[in-house]
Amino acid sequence: MKTDASTSKHGDRFPLDPRNGEPLAPRAQPGYYPGFSTLSQQSFWDAATREVVRKRIEEIPPLRFFTPNEVRLMEIVCEHLLPQDDRDVAHRIPILPFIDERLHDKRTPGYRFEVMPPDGAAYRLGLQAIEQMARTAHGRNFLDLSWREQDVLLKSIHDAEPLPGAEEIWARMPIHRYWGLVVQDCVEMYYAHPRAWDEIGFGGPAYPRAYMRLERGEAEPWEVEEKRYEWRAPNDAVSDPSVEEIAAHKEHPPAGQGGTH
Amino acid sequence: MQRLEAPMRRHAPNEEVDYLIVGVGSAGGVLLQRLARAGFRVVGLEAGPFWDTERDWVSDEKGSHQLYWEDMRITGGENPLVFGANNSGKGVGGGSVHWAAFTPRFHPSDFEVYTRDGVGVDWPISYWDLKPYYELLELEMPVAGPAWYPWGDPHGYAYGAHPMGGVGNTLIRGCTKLGIPVSAGGPVAILSGSRNDRPHCIYRGFCIQGCKVGAKASTLITHVPDALRSGAEIRDCSMANRIHLGKDNRVTGVSYFDRAGREHFQKAKAVIVSGYAIETPRLLLNSACAGYENGLANSSDTVGRYLMAQAGTVVLGRFDELVRMYKAPPAHALTEEFYETDPKRDFARGFAIQTVGPLPIAFAKQMMAARGSWGWGMRRQMMDYNHWAALGLLGEILPWPENRVTLAEERDQWGIPVAHINFDLHENDKKLIEFARNKTEEVMRAAGATETAHEARYAHLVGAARMGEDPAKSVVDRYGRTHDIVNLFVCDGSVLPTQGSANPGLTIQALAARTADYLISQGTTVFSSDKRDLTPPPVRRELSPPGTHGKGVPRLG
Ligand SMILES: Cc1cc2nc3c(=O)[nH]c(=O)nc-3n(C[C@H](O)[C@H](O)[C@H](O)COP(=O)(O)OP(=O)(O)OC[C@H]3O[C@@H](n4cnc5c(N)ncnc54)[C@H](O)[C@@H]3O)c2cc1C
Ligand code: SF4
Repeated sequence: MKTDASTSKHGDRFPLDPRNGEPLAPRAQPGYYPGFSTLSQQSFWDAATREVVRKRIEEIPPLRFFTPNEVRLMEIVCEHLLPQDDRDVAHRIPILPFIDERLHDKRTPGYRFEVMPPDGAAYRLGLQAIEQMARTAHGRNFLDLSWREQDVLLKSIHDAEPLPGAEEIWARMPIHRYWGLVVQDCVEMYYAHPRAWDEIGFGGPAYPRAYMRLERGEAEPWEVEEKRYEWRAPNDAVSDPSVEEIAAHKEHPPAGQGGTH
Repeated sequence: MQRLEAPMRRHAPNEEVDYLIVGVGSAGGVLLQRLARAGFRVVGLEAGPFWDTERDWVSDEKGSHQLYWEDMRITGGENPLVFGANNSGKGVGGGSVHWAAFTPRFHPSDFEVYTRDGVGVDWPISYWDLKPYYELLELEMPVAGPAWYPWGDPHGYAYGAHPMGGVGNTLIRGCTKLGIPVSAGGPVAILSGSRNDRPHCIYRGFCIQGCKVGAKASTLITHVPDALRSGAEIRDCSMANRIHLGKDNRVTGVSYFDRAGREHFQKAKAVIVSGYAIETPRLLLNSACAGYENGLANSSDTVGRYLMAQAGTVVLGRFDELVRMYKAPPAHALTEEFYETDPKRDFARGFAIQTVGPLPIAFAKQMMAARGSWGWGMRRQMMDYNHWAALGLLGEILPWPENRVTLAEERDQWGIPVAHINFDLHENDKKLIEFARNKTEEVMRAAGATETAHEARYAHLVGAARMGEDPAKSVVDRYGRTHDIVNLFVCDGSVLPTQGSANPGLTIQALAARTADYLISQGTTVFSSDKRDLTPPPVRRELSPPGTHGKGVPRLG
């Protein structure tokens, strides 16, 4: 394991075991539900749902919207916004191809903030801003920054207190709306994947079979019990604040985007 | 597996029909059924598809975007609303396909908030005018709930409440600890037992992705099948772009684009717009013409104004034990204990607290908004998904003239100007939301949550073509007829003058049934005369879809 971590171009990117500070070996399935597999239940799903999920796993859309340069940047941005270094390479979840597909197909979420450019243009402007901030703050390309420098730069967008270098872009595009757009797309693509369902213990599709154990968080016979383990975010990451820091977090402007009631 | 009979073409292209309804959603579905059953020749134009539910719908969050209206809308103001999955539907059934199906009635006080509190505006009708239609629709959907429901006009439900899930238990536990009365199940338009050809709920939790089972009511399964059997025609994938005005100040019909983008004109003796609180004003504004330069039926300059959304802040709570909130319908239990104006508080009107059950993608977006989660922090929060429960407050936001729909410069795929929406909160709204959020948080803590977080949100758009007595201050009269044009009607959520803090779907369908009774009692005068008769119509119980009323259907009282 050590070798893997130390040979990594970006240094200490792996989550750590808090007991000894050692990197945790990447797993096929991180999360607290070892052995849980929603896909193992797919013969109990309806055909249409099976097909949508199959396509998602097997037919990764080609990259058509982003230019090759933008792809290199976006790939790294996605790895920071939704890091997967605790997954072994074979079990990572593709994110960028699905964002690219949405933008290429010009699919919108049904609205655009009047202060925002269209989604595709917003993505392009955001990447430009990231590049300019890297050059101004560090005199280097974003891709040449250390992992931690990249994480810190992105966190400055998250905090809406951006490193200098892209003032004129943020004047045209509210920084928190840009951040919300990209993070939402990343989570939509990641948590749509059955591997993510297994990771968080979400039971997944249940028609026509049904859920039968509704109370007290009880597992269905085919679900598994929670088995927690402790982990610490990698040393080079600044995206995992403590509970106290979260509590101190000032209210973020973005209003909820998902339908609930 | 549910099989729905698909609609057939019934009218020749140049044939004039009696009623043309734009939008077959919550209101449009009920109207279509009633008018067809009464023998009118009626056509529904629907922008989205007629669903084959088994083939088109999936148990999957990301795979369900087609259910929502995701054509472009531009949103602004100090508190911009978000649309798409958060707000409205497309396709036969409209918003009732993806609603959570909470179906509380409005309270008697909702119809006279100006008289009582000096805020908003009174309705031109009272609760008692609508009550018989609440009772009918509660059986037609039908609604499952407690035998005794204590709030507003106390009443009971004929169909039993559902077994509790994790989130429902959270609400009931928290409220009980604090001495707050709570409904231990419902009211929800979800079958707790099978009825006719519809099976009972299987607690799969995908209500907002459309109920493939057929347990959750949508007009697609409760009213549209009977409408089609009674001779109605539905033209799906047909986007109306303009209502045409004839020489004698009467509308003559509607032009629309079919699925291939070809434009057609459908002649009608009367037109009813049922397109939702955004698309209805958009269509009226886009139908501006000589004599109505500011939009059809807009001599009052109120088309598009007084748009309302309910405050829908979600309060999330983390529990040491597992909750697994994806099981059971997200709409499960509620309390209306804080619904009415309380002189001890420093704002008018009130709110409800309800269960919600976000699935993983929705929950991740909530965590982003509520806690700023991203990166490893997002992964960590999400690994704890099963420890969280979510409650939603539903708070009354008052009608304000600047909260409005206008037309933007930008055009959609058919070349129609898209809607621009401006939305700002006012003092009363802000105080109400803060109080409600604190109360909901208190309930969450009392239930045992060790951490809480909240996400600001708005839901349920209504208003923007409101009803009223005064033609200078409202768009339609008490039956939905536009003050300006005798054979043009609006019937959907956009006619609501105020909105209470009950989810609007039941009220929208009850109003549609009432408008239908009115039109039926008018016979053919709407088609040929300029007379406006406001005599209340008799309640026509016999127009309910078969098997939902009378022998074999449970009765109350
Ligand atoms: C996630 C979510 C959960 C909800 N939960 C609840 C709940 O629990 N309880 C509740 O009461 N309410 C709920 N609602 C709200 C409810 O769905 C709406 O209030 C209700 O459906 C509105 O009814 P309507 O008749 O005004 O419009 P809709 O039901 O939206 O119908 C309008 C129809 O008109 C069509 N249309 C629009 N423009 C055109 C045009 N130009 N040409 C042709 N067709 C057109 C649309 O495609 C649509 O089908 C929820 C909404 C959402 C988004
Ligand atoms: S929980 Fe019940 S009502 Fe909701 S989608 Fe599932 S079966 Fe339908």
